[in-house]
Amino acid sequence: MVKKDAKAYVYINGKIMGFVDNPADFANEIRASRRKGILSGEVNVAYMEKTNEIHINTDSGRVRKPYIIVENEKSKLTQDLAQKLKNKEINFNYLLRNGIVEYLDAEEEENAMVVFNEKDINEKTTHIESDLSGIFGFTINVSPFPEHNSLARHAMLANFTKQAEGLYASNFNIRFDSRSYLLFYPQMPIVKTATYDSINMKSHPSGQNFVVALSTYYGYNMADAIVINKAAVDRGMGRSVFYKTYSDEERRYPGGQKDRFKLPPATTEGYMGEHVYSKLSEDGIIEPEMSVEEGEVIIGKVAPPRFLEENLGAGGLEEKMRDDSTILKAGEKGVVDSVVFTETTGATKIVKVRIRSLKVPEKGDKFASRHGQKGVVALIVPQEDMPFNSDGIVPDLLLNPHSIPTRLTFGHLLETLAGKAGAVSGKTIDGTAFAEEGPKRIEAYSKMLEERGFEKYGNETLYDGITGRPFKAQIFNGVVYYNRLYHMVSNKIQVRSRGKVQILTHQPTEGKARQGALRFGEMERDALIGYGASLLLKERLLDQSDKTTIAICKSCGGMGYYDHIKRITICSLCGKNDFEDVEISYAFKILLDEIKSLHILPTIKLKE
Amino acid sequence: MAKKYSDGREEFHVEKGDPVGMIAAQSMGEPGTQMVLRAFHLAGIESTISTSGLPRIAELVDAKKSPATPITYVYLDKSINKDLEKVVALMKKINEVRMSTIMRHAPMENFGKGLIKISLSGQELESEQLTAKQVASKLAKELEVEAYEKDGAVYINAHTKDAKKIRALSTKISKMVVSGIEGAGKTTVQKDKNTGEFYIIAAGSNIESIINVDGVDKSRLTTNDVFAIYRLFGIEAARNSIIKELNQTLKEQKISVDERHLMLIADSMTSAGSIKGVGRHGLSGQKNSVLARAAYEETVKHLIHAAAFGEIDPMEGVTENILVGKQIPIGTGSVKLGIKTEQPKKK
Repeated sequence: MVKKDAKAYVYINGKIMGFVDNPADFANEIRASRRKGILSGEVNVAYMEKTNEIHINTDSGRVRKPYIIVENEKSKLTQDLAQKLKNKEINFNYLLRNGIVEYLDAEEEENAMVVFNEKDINEKTTHIESDLSGIFGFTINVSPFPEHNSLARHAMLANFTKQAEGLYASNFNIRFDSRSYLLFYPQMPIVKTATYDSINMKSHPSGQNFVVALSTYYGYNMADAIVINKAAVDRGMGRSVFYKTYSDEERRYPGGQKDRFKLPPATTEGYMGEHVYSKLSEDGIIEPEMSVEEGEVIIGKVAPPRFLEENLGAGGLEEKMRDDSTILKAGEKGVVDSVVFTETTGATKIVKVRIRSLKVPEKGDKFASRHGQKGVVALIVPQEDMPFNSDGIVPDLLLNPHSIPTRLTFGHLLETLAGKAGAVSGKTIDGTAFAEEGPKRIEAYSKMLEERGFEKYGNETLYDGITGRPFKAQIFNGVVYYNRLYHMVSNKIQVRSRGKVQILTHQPTEGKARQGALRFGEMERDALIGYGASLLLKERLLDQSDKTTIAICKSCGGMGYYDHIKRITICSLCGKNDFEDVEISYAFKILLDEIKSLHILPTIKLKE
Repeated sequence: MAKKYSDGREEFHVEKGDPVGMIAAQSMGEPGTQMVLRAFHLAGIESTISTSGLPRIAELVDAKKSPATPITYVYLDKSINKDLEKVVALMKKINEVRMSTIMRHAPMENFGKGLIKISLSGQELESEQLTAKQVASKLAKELEVEAYEKDGAVYINAHTKDAKKIRALSTKISKMVVSGIEGAGKTTVQKDKNTGEFYIIAAGSNIESIINVDGVDKSRLTTNDVFAIYRLFGIEAARNSIIKELNQTLKEQKISVDERHLMLIADSMTSAGSIKGVGRHGLSGQKNSVLARAAYEETVKHLIHAAAFGEIDPMEGVTENILVGKQIPIGTGSVKLGIKTEQPKKK
C-alpha cells in the first residue's frame, strides 16, 4: 500500500514530471481549468488512487467520448440550453467551449461516475451519458434495435457492413479501383437510426428494403439458405455491377531496352494465336464496350527477351521480342468499361483497363440483414409459385423461422414489424438503440398497422403459390433492409479435372488463380487407410498426382538415364543397361536426388 | 470379456488386413478435438485436484515417467476398515511430512558455533500431530547428530566449524521426511458410500512402500501412476492400468470410445515388456522403416543414421509405401492374386 500523505508522482504522457502533495485536488484543478478553457480540451487527467499516481495525457491515439458534466448534483445541460440546442441557436461546439460537455479518455473515465439518466444523479455523480445509444460504437448504432440482439451477432454485423455492396463513392465512374462493387438501385432503409443520419449514410446507401416472410419453402431455406423471388430479381432487386481494373506499364530495363504496348506480331516469342488478340485495336489496347472473355488479351505488350544470349544469334537483325500481354483471368468475363492511357512522372507509359460485369443475384450469392443474419440464395422461385397474401403482395425473400430463436436476434423481428408499419404508413421509423422500450415500440407499430387495416402483429394469411390454398398458420411478414454482400459464386467458382502441375514436384497446382486442384490431405489419406481402400489411395496419391517412371538398374540399384544419341538407357554407376521400369512418386525421386547431392548413394533393391 | 460385449457387438469382428491401429487412432483422436474445448472440473468430489482431459491423455499415451498429480488409493484390511480411529492412525503413519512443511523458514546456521537452528511452525506441527521433541529425536536418529529442543525450536550441533559441512547438513535437513512414507504425499481418509468402509487417498505414488504397511489390503492397493504399477506388479498390470486410466479420463469428459481401441493402444505400448510412449521416443521412433521414421519427426537424424549405417528399408509399413507410391500392404492391399504360370498339360 501507498503511505498516507506520500507525494504523488505526476506523469505527462507516461513520463515522470514531478510530485504533488494533494493529488486529488491537483487533478480537479486541471479539470476545472480545462472546463474554463485555460487548458486545451484534449488534455485528460486521471488520478490513480491505488498507486498514488497522476497521469496527464495529451498525446494522439486515445479513444475519447463526450459526456455531459454534472456539478453540484445538477446537469450543466439545463432545460434552457437544451431548448436552444434544439432551435439551433447554439451547437455542440458551444457546449464544449463552455464546459457543459467534455471528452474523457479511457484513463479519466476511471475517475468518473457516469449515470444514464438525470434522475439517477447522486452526490458522487460527475457526468451524464449524452445518449443511451452512446454505449455502442458507430457500427452497432447503424443497425436498428441493437439492444434486442445478441452480442455475437453484432460482431458478425460489423463484418457484413464492410462487405455490403452499395454506392461506395459517387465518383466511381472516374475511379480505377482494382475491384469495386456497385448496387444498381440502393435504397434508404425504412428503419433508420440517429447514427445513420449523423454519419451521413444517406449518401452511401448500401442495401434495399425487402419484403420478407418468415416461412419455409420446401426445405430450400434450411440452415442459412434463402429463397428469393424471381420477379423481384428481374425488377432489379440485389442487382449489381462488378468492376475490375487491369493495369500494365512499359517497363524499362538496364541496357536501354523497354517494353512496348503494341499488337504483338506473329513472330513474337510465346505468341498465342491470332484469335486471342483479335479484339485489340491497332495500338494493341482493347477498345471500350468490347465484350471480353477469359483467355483473351486486353493489353497487348511485347517485352525484350529475358536473357541476352537469346539475342546473339540474330546478328543485327530486328530484335526478337517476347509476348508479355495481359490476359483476362480464368473464370472472368464482362465488357470493357473504360480504358486509360497515361504516363507516370517517370515518363513510363501506363494502361489501365476497367472491366465491368453485371452480377444478377443467382444461386450461391450472399445476402445479410442488419442483425448478423446472413444467408445464401438456394432457390430463385418464379413469382407465381411464391406464397402471396390477399392483397397480392408476394415476398421478395423467404427467411427460415428457425434462424431466429437460437441466434437471439429479436431485433430482426422488430425490424420486420417496424419496416412493415413504416412501409404502409409512408414513414421512416427510428430504430435507435434504447430510444424506446420494446413493448412500447411494438404498440406503436401495431397501431400504425391497424390503422391501415393490417393485422397488428404483422401476421397474415398467406396462400400457397402452387396450390392456391391458404396456409393453416398465419405467417409473419414485413419489410427488412437487406445488404447484398460481395461474396458471389461467379467470382469464386472453379473446376478442374486435369490441369497444370508444379514444376518442382510434378504435383497439381493449388488455388483458383492457378487452376488448382483440391488437396487430398493427411486426414483424407488417414480415412482411406482406415477403410483399407489401398488401390483408391494409390490412385489419389500417385496416379492422379505425381507418378513418374524411372529405370532402376537390376545389378546395382542405381537410377539409369536415357542416352538420346545411343538410344539406350545406361546406368551411370555400373555402365550396364539391364533395367526394370519402376513407378514411383516424383516427390520420392526428388528425395533420392537430394540425398545423392549430399554424397550419399541411395539404391533401390528390386524384388524378384 | 465375452459376456461384457454380448450386446450385438460380436458381429463386428476384425478381419485380416483391417487397419485397426488407424481406426483406434481416429476413434480416440476425433473426440480428443472436442476435449480441448471443455476442460472442466467437478467441484467438491475427492478434494484432490487431479490432471484430467487432454493433458492426462497425453501424459498416459506419451508414457510420462511420473504423473503430474499422482494419487494412490489405499484400501484396508476388513478387520480395521470400518473403524475410523484406526484408519486415521494408519493414515498418519503413511502421511508424508517433510521438514520443509513444518519449518517456519530456512534453517539458520551459526557457523561460529557449528549450530543449526530450526524454528518450527506450531500450527503445522499441530495439524500433523507432531511435537518439536519428536522432530528433534527423529533428526538425531536419522542424521546421527546431536539434536535437542529448546523453546519450540530444534537445535542441531554439527560438531564442526566447516561451513561447507554445515551448509550441506542444513540442506539435507530441509529435504528430510520427518514422519510417514517418503513419496506417499499428503493423505486423506474417505468413506466408500456403497460399502461403508474407510479408505485412504494419498497424493503420491510410492506403492512399493505403502504395500508393506500393516493393515493395507494388498489386493486392492492401486494408483494412477502407471510406472509405479509396472515396477511393483509387472507389465500386465501396467497394461490394465493404462486401459483403466484412459477409459476413466474419457468417461470423465463424457466421451465414449470403445474399450477395444484403448486395449490396442495399451497393448502396443506394453508389448515389448516395458512401457513405451507412442511418440518419437516410443512406437513411432522405433519403427522398422527409415522412411517412415524420417517422414514423422527428426527427418535429418534418421536419414543421417541410415546413411551412416547402411540401413535397408524393408518397405513393409504403410507410411513408406505411400511415400514412394506403392500400394499399401493393408486392407485390400494385404492380399495378392496368384496365377499358376505353368502351362496346362496337353492331352
